[in-house]
Amino acid sequence: MSWLTSTVWKIPRAGTLLLFVGACWVAPSAAQELRVPESAMAGQAAVISTNGSGHATFYLIGPGTSIKREINLGEDVHVAPESLEDSGQYLAIVCSESCGSATFYVQPSHPASLSFLVHPSRVPDNQPDAVSGVAFPFDHFGNLVLDPLAVTFQAAGPKEKLFAREVSTRDGVAWFRTASGKSVGPLHITASIGPVSSPRVIAQVASEPCNLRIKGQRTAKGILVETEPVHDCAGNPVADGTIVTFNASGDGEKSTVDAPIKGDVARALITDSGPVTISAASGVAMTNELRVGGK
Amino acid sequence: MKNMTQRILRRLSPVIYFAAACLSLLLPFSASADAPTVLVHLDVNKASPRAVEEQTSRRILADYRFAWTNLARAVETDTIEPVRGQFVGSAGKWVAETIAAQQKAGLTSRHINQNHKLTATFYAPEGDVMELHDDAQFHLQVLDGSKLIYDQPVVMHYIVLMTPGADRWVIRQLQSVEKF
Amino acid sequence: MKWTLSIALVAATIVLIAAGLFQTRSGGGTVGIAAGRALPGFAMRPDTPEHALTILLGAVQRRDWKQALTVMRTNDAATSEDEQAMAQDWQGSNGSLRTFSSLESFDLWPQHATTDEAQIRARLNWTTPVGPVEDLRDFNLTRSGEIWTVTLPRTEPPNVPAQIVPVTYLRWDLVSGNGQDKWGTHNLDAPRVRIISMNAVNSAQGVVVMGEVENEDTVPAFVNVNATLLNASAAVIDQENSFDKIAHVLLPKAVSPYRIDFPGLDLAKVKNVRMDIKAALVPASADPVIGVMDQKIEQDLQGNPVLHGALLNQSGQTVNIPHVIASFSDSNGRVIWVSDGYVDNALLPQSSAPFAIQIPRNVATNVRSFHVVVNQYSLENS
Repeated sequence: MSWLTSTVWKIPRAGTLLLFVGACWVAPSAAQELRVPESAMAGQAAVISTNGSGHATFYLIGPGTSIKREINLGEDVHVAPESLEDSGQYLAIVCSESCGSATFYVQPSHPASLSFLVHPSRVPDNQPDAVSGVAFPFDHFGNLVLDPLAVTFQAAGPKEKLFAREVSTRDGVAWFRTASGKSVGPLHITASIGPVSSPRVIAQVASEPCNLRIKGQRTAKGILVETEPVHDCAGNPVADGTIVTFNASGDGEKSTVDAPIKGDVARALITDSGPVTISAASGVAMTNELRVGGK
Repeated sequence: MKNMTQRILRRLSPVIYFAAACLSLLLPFSASADAPTVLVHLDVNKASPRAVEEQTSRRILADYRFAWTNLARAVETDTIEPVRGQFVGSAGKWVAETIAAQQKAGLTSRHINQNHKLTATFYAPEGDVMELHDDAQFHLQVLDGSKLIYDQPVVMHYIVLMTPGADRWVIRQLQSVEKF
Repeated sequence: MKWTLSIALVAATIVLIAAGLFQTRSGGGTVGIAAGRALPGFAMRPDTPEHALTILLGAVQRRDWKQALTVMRTNDAATSEDEQAMAQDWQGSNGSLRTFSSLESFDLWPQHATTDEAQIRARLNWTTPVGPVEDLRDFNLTRSGEIWTVTLPRTEPPNVPAQIVPVTYLRWDLVSGNGQDKWGTHNLDAPRVRIISMNAVNSAQGVVVMGEVENEDTVPAFVNVNATLLNASAAVIDQENSFDKIAHVLLPKAVSPYRIDFPGLDLAKVKNVRMDIKAALVPASADPVIGVMDQKIEQDLQGNPVLHGALLNQSGQTVNIPHVIASFSDSNGRVIWVSDGYVDNALLPQSSAPFAIQIPRNVATNVRSFHVVVNQYSLENS
């Protein structure tokens, strides 16, 4: 510590601090002057001007870009469009004996695609606020377009046009929510901005089975039992493949068959020979009881 | 005795100032050698149309911090490995491009003492995407090889899109803007 | 020194081989029970009932049907038809589980014997692709002169007449978009499935987590249930999944039992069980439909409670390996046990096959209802 002489000691304290901060600072203080574009658009070339003379190293650092190039001071630096595809802040640095820097922003280009998220993929009919969609406009380079844009949402069911609505984007997002339609089948939903559109298809399906009923008769092979056409409470046929579980009980034994609905009807064969009581269930829906006598 | 102590302290005070000043300037360098300091504060009160669940909020906070910690590592070491799986879509593309471009130019960058004020502005009705605004402050250093060519505190504004992945929320869009 | 060690090793090997050749099976068997693993190349006269049955089962192990027939017939040489029938009976057919199995070992219990007749119960231990399977069978033996022969009831293979079975074929295919991996283009929701009951109990083997799961969606789901056991400090003790103790493919509104085993763990050390259900869209078919007929809890030959029934294939497709899973509930409707079993024989179209699932004695007394589902593996679909 002997190198801290009394000369330093006489400097006011604040000044001492600045002096030593300056001494410890490794970055140069004398900066080169750079003129960067006031506005730039993604995918477009830009020009950055420098002043002074002599050789220098030019750097451009931005999202997805890092360029290092030897330049002559006082000449313009041309930045190619492919180096400015990502929107965001870019940092230009010029170093000769010392370094200078400037920042500029590249704005997103025009909307070229729409990311459109629609939910759910399958929706029961007649449900309020059951369908929702969110759209994000992106430019050709994958930048989110943040300027307000009018997005048109359209939805059409198999038998009806559900809605058409125009929603303005805010911070690059537009969304909607709507009720599902009355009939089952594909629901086509489209989001569009001018010529750019994004279609989606979701399935409108029947709700839970309603008034489930069975009938049956004894045949040579056993008791052939089947449901009446299975519909939901709005009268739409329940999706084929939905399992109906048939239960037959009698004489201390029981038989069960998990049968899928095919063509609105589920069928099963019960081989019990004695008198049995048969019922069926699908989800929370239960059927009537059917009593069949023995052979 | 008391006067003596005061005199010694007064004499030593410039030394203490010098040491403190140098230390404060050296701290960022020493910090960059270890795990980068990343502070994230998340405000979900403005999120709509869906309210952010507490568990989701905790997850977002942890995953966003984790992503920035690893992003800082990735751009400092010019390797994609630390950020694999945390940036997808456009964000994944530009992170990969950034690292590749840095490698090509022989540059590295350091994001030191990060402080992110994150505000959730949009949370989709089905909870499958969230938009956030990040007011980020950090000390940015750019190095050409071992030569420091930029060393400044910076304030950045990011528009962030996050979506739920298999086991975490991932960053799908990370786009800096001039202002919100 | 070098030679001494080599000679010792060779001598020990010879001794062990000899011991292996001449020993009869005792490990794992019960005292007083004849058990065996037949010795290849040793054609001995079946002068006792146990000996005759040992020769038969040994031949089955080696799939030596010619020798097996020597203890089943007293005169005449075996015909090729007899050999074929014998092979089909013991080796299986139609891609059934038995065709992929082999008889690992057997244990014999004499049940009843006179000078000319005897009855022996055999526990047959099969190795199969789905793990070891135990089979309990009673054999009747008769004496003809100096030798004993086994009388096996001839099992007739199901005789399925040639026919056309009309099937309204129903299946689901997955369309995964136009191939561009753009955000939002592949957002098909996973099927909505739900665990409708869960129970964790201690069993002889360890902790068992079980219950039922339902597909509440309108599309088929591939379902897997995972359970994580946590201790008092919320640390993970173990994590397992339902593996084959679940019907993985669930059609809409279908319910399947599931069971997750944690061998060697004690429920007393478990504070919490974290359940996690994974469901994925999967291409599926609604066929074949398999009915479960005549379900009844009875006692087996050893007095153990067993759920008996018969599977009836109601479609026109062969089910090679039927797999039965049953959940048993108490009077409160709570699932108290889940058990499963594979059926040895293939289930031919329009035919039926019996099945039996064991229930622990302590559980059986509390069972008030049960639910049986059939998992099916068909070679033409795999």
